[in-house]
Amino acid sequence: MLWVDKYRPKTLDKMMVHEDIALNLKKLVTEQDCPHLLFYGPTGSGKKTLIMAVLRQMFGASAEKVKVENKVWKVNAGSRTIDLELTTLSSNNHVEINPSDAGFQDRYVVQEIIKEMAKNRPVDARGKKGYKVLVLNEVDKLSREAQHSLRRTMEKYSASCRLILCCNSSSKVTEAVRSRCLNIRINSPTEEQIVRVLEFIGKKEGLQLPPGFATRIAVQSNRSLRRAILSFETCQVQQYPFTSNQAIPPMDWEQYITEIASDIMQEQSAKRLFLVRGKFYELLINCIPPVIILKRLLSELLKKLDAELKHEVCHWAAYYEHRMCLGQKAIFHIEAFVAKFMSIYKAFLIATFG
Amino acid sequence: MGAEVSSCLQRYSKQEPLLLVRTRTRTRTRAELSCAVRLSWTFSYFLLLLLLLLKTMEFLLPPKPKPKPDIHALLVAGIPRNPDLTNTNTLRYMSTLMPFTMTSLMNLWDFKRDPGMKKAGSRRSNNGGLWVDKHKPKSLEELIVHKKKVEEIKLWLKERLKPSKEEEVRTLALVVRGPAGVGKSATIQIISSHLGARLCEWNTPTPTLWQEHIHNSTSGKEYTSKLDEFEIFVETIRKYPSLSFSCTGGPISPCVLLIDDVPLTNERTALGRLCNSLHVLARSTVMPTVIIITDYSKAESADDKSHYFDVLQSSLESAGACKVTFNPLTINSIKKTLTRICKEEQCHVTSEQIDKIAKASGGDVRHAITTLQFLSLRLGHTISSSLIDPTTSCSNEDSEVNLLDDGFCLPFGRDETISLFHALGKFLHNKRDASVTTFENNVFTLRERFTRLPLMMAAPEMVLDQAHGQARVVTDFLHENVLEFISNDAIDDAWSVASYLSDADNLLGIALPWSMTRKYEAESIVQSVAASVAVRGVLFGNSHPAVSRWHSIRKPQLWLIEHSALRNKVGTLLLVRRLTLENLMANVCVMATEYKPTYKWIERNVKECLDGEKTEENECRMEELDEMEWRSCGKSDEIEDW
Repeated sequence: MLWVDKYRPKTLDKMMVHEDIALNLKKLVTEQDCPHLLFYGPTGSGKKTLIMAVLRQMFGASAEKVKVENKVWKVNAGSRTIDLELTTLSSNNHVEINPSDAGFQDRYVVQEIIKEMAKNRPVDARGKKGYKVLVLNEVDKLSREAQHSLRRTMEKYSASCRLILCCNSSSKVTEAVRSRCLNIRINSPTEEQIVRVLEFIGKKEGLQLPPGFATRIAVQSNRSLRRAILSFETCQVQQYPFTSNQAIPPMDWEQYITEIASDIMQEQSAKRLFLVRGKFYELLINCIPPVIILKRLLSELLKKLDAELKHEVCHWAAYYEHRMCLGQKAIFHIEAFVAKFMSIYKAFLIATFG
Repeated sequence: MGAEVSSCLQRYSKQEPLLLVRTRTRTRTRAELSCAVRLSWTFSYFLLLLLLLLKTMEFLLPPKPKPKPDIHALLVAGIPRNPDLTNTNTLRYMSTLMPFTMTSLMNLWDFKRDPGMKKAGSRRSNNGGLWVDKHKPKSLEELIVHKKKVEEIKLWLKERLKPSKEEEVRTLALVVRGPAGVGKSATIQIISSHLGARLCEWNTPTPTLWQEHIHNSTSGKEYTSKLDEFEIFVETIRKYPSLSFSCTGGPISPCVLLIDDVPLTNERTALGRLCNSLHVLARSTVMPTVIIITDYSKAESADDKSHYFDVLQSSLESAGACKVTFNPLTINSIKKTLTRICKEEQCHVTSEQIDKIAKASGGDVRHAITTLQFLSLRLGHTISSSLIDPTTSCSNEDSEVNLLDDGFCLPFGRDETISLFHALGKFLHNKRDASVTTFENNVFTLRERFTRLPLMMAAPEMVLDQAHGQARVVTDFLHENVLEFISNDAIDDAWSVASYLSDADNLLGIALPWSMTRKYEAESIVQSVAASVAVRGVLFGNSHPAVSRWHSIRKPQLWLIEHSALRNKVGTLLLVRRLTLENLMANVCVMATEYKPTYKWIERNVKECLDGEKTEENECRMEELDEMEWRSCGKSDEIEDW
């Protein structure tokens, strides 16, 4: 098991970051009825960990006994029935799904699952009717229609079903949904917090950390705790005992994008563009999201770029990122961005060096 | 029995339209004729009444010029293949069945036709039928098929028709394959008559209509499919070879069996049966047998019909059949034929028009002749001038080019299709007319960087139409291949092309299935706009095309990439689920970007510990090589520079 999973705090009390939020959540769950919750924040900030801990707080240890199943939902959509296959993770008291996996049929999923959950409400020992919790991941990737239908069902079944929504950016969640939830923003942990966690893990694992090493990992992790722990473990596998100037290996795809960036800077031609396309394909095969590719590529390019050009290049990157979201096939837009960059850069080189 | 079946089959096909005309009941065989007679008796009394009524009405109404009823022409039109036989048959049957209602029926028939048909019929009788039939080649010299092919078939037939003394194993089946209207049947007919052999045809029975089927099934008659009938026919030939065709009396002349219409099947088992019976036929026939397969829609890509014929052909060839493939006729030979017909019919068609017809026919002489007849029928000078007058706003030369290039502007043009690769080649090579230097035609004066030389092809949308290009497919293909057609240094061009392709992709994104409520028309508009943007973007953006050389057009790698990305996604999820025992939903993005690389590192390190000499570098390369190899097998479909 990876350290990320191994040292994930199981209860709200044991949280090492966001202690205040954890405390508030604990109060909320123990003292009164829990409203719908919407967790949002950047990746690797601990949303999932908090959600798991909240569930544990609600239902006790039974929340951890989960089973994974591929369930087929039969949905009645007007005149026809749609079969949707979706992976769910469920315990007695909660169900977790990625509704965006269903693609454009996500709205049916949301409605149907909530309805089904409402049908069989759990009854606790004292005969009081309890509620189930539905955890929806990546709510920001839900389509508009799905979010609208979510809003309606949230109200209708609020007695029997609580929702915990989880997403990166709340701006992509509709106002209506947001106003029906308790919004909890989870910030990225600060570097000091990350260092503290790393040192904690190091102590548990019995490792000797040279001074400044944890800080370097924290800096490179871009304030993502998950990232920091993963690269910490990678370092340990790569070379232990640590040396204070040990290189922290980047993720392979990041290295690859750095390579692409230097390819682009070296030569600006149709042939090179074709070569670069092949490399993008390589990344896409490995399921690296195109938006992340574009972002990373931009930051790599900006590192080596003259200040004069940065503004324009950023503009075009944003432009093509937007179009990527509108379009169907990401490679078209990434390639258009690269071509534009090449064209700008070549013009710049000619103007400067003749 | 064999003779009876086959003769019945033959008569059958000749009778059917006749019976339909005559009695309006759907009788099909002799067994039902008696019933038909009874019906027709009652029917004819009714008709007599009707006739009287009509006669009385004729007194009241002003007399119309009544065209002569012309049953010959009508019947000939119904059965284009052996007209002489049908005529005599018709009359005989008519007279035996209904001696006195015949004229009244003819009147009624005439009366019921709409005036246009009547006119056409009488006209045709005056002129002597369809030109296609009338000017059928009658001798070997008149055939416009390539001499070598004719010679080949002739030789083949001659050899087979010679009575073979020694028992040598020879194949007696010949497959003639080619597009429609290139003279396959005509060649066989002429050659066999030239060699003095009789031609026995298996004509497909007329198809049973659904209503007819319903009617038949209620009257207790069983339905036999074309395939069944073909199988019976083959079986008959196999079992009673000597009986089938030689017992008709008279001097025994050698026989050639011609199977012109191979039944069309739709599903796999039926196709299997058909293949099987063709195989049996090719193996067991004792007289020279010619099987004609007409190719439909060869240009249309991704059509399984052409594959269908390939299956048939291969099954025949496996039975040892010889094969002759006919190509579309050359424009010159079609022109020659048309001129000859013009001379014989004494119609005034300019050589320019003949030229156009020949070009528009796409190597289909039957079509060309019909077009010529149509043109000469209605030929006033109005039409001929409207043919030449450009309907578009471009200049005269331009329209000339257009007319010749695609045949869309011709009112009689056969809509030619081109293959997708042909169209893509046109777009990618981006040939332009360099001779034009001024742009006085343009309504707007454009800046120099926006001006382009005129294209050396029809409007891109038309080319797309001809190629049946779907927007997504076309866009993907263009994206895959366009970079090689752009001059290496012209990165600005590359960008403008890429930006247009990105536009096209966005347009295609609109038509995603979540807009299911939207009307289909709107989507198809979006689709065609997207295709147009992509194509025109490629044409416009590529202002410095690479030096023309041989290029292969690749299948989009993107499709493979998408496919394998999906597979990897599933794979990642499975891997993660196996490795982490945590009760968390796997998020593909996080897994792919963070977990998986870590796993790789850890696994690699473990492996390195096991066998120390392998460096990561090496392994990395290996992986990449594997990937490359795997991808390169997807390459296919090459075309040449033209």
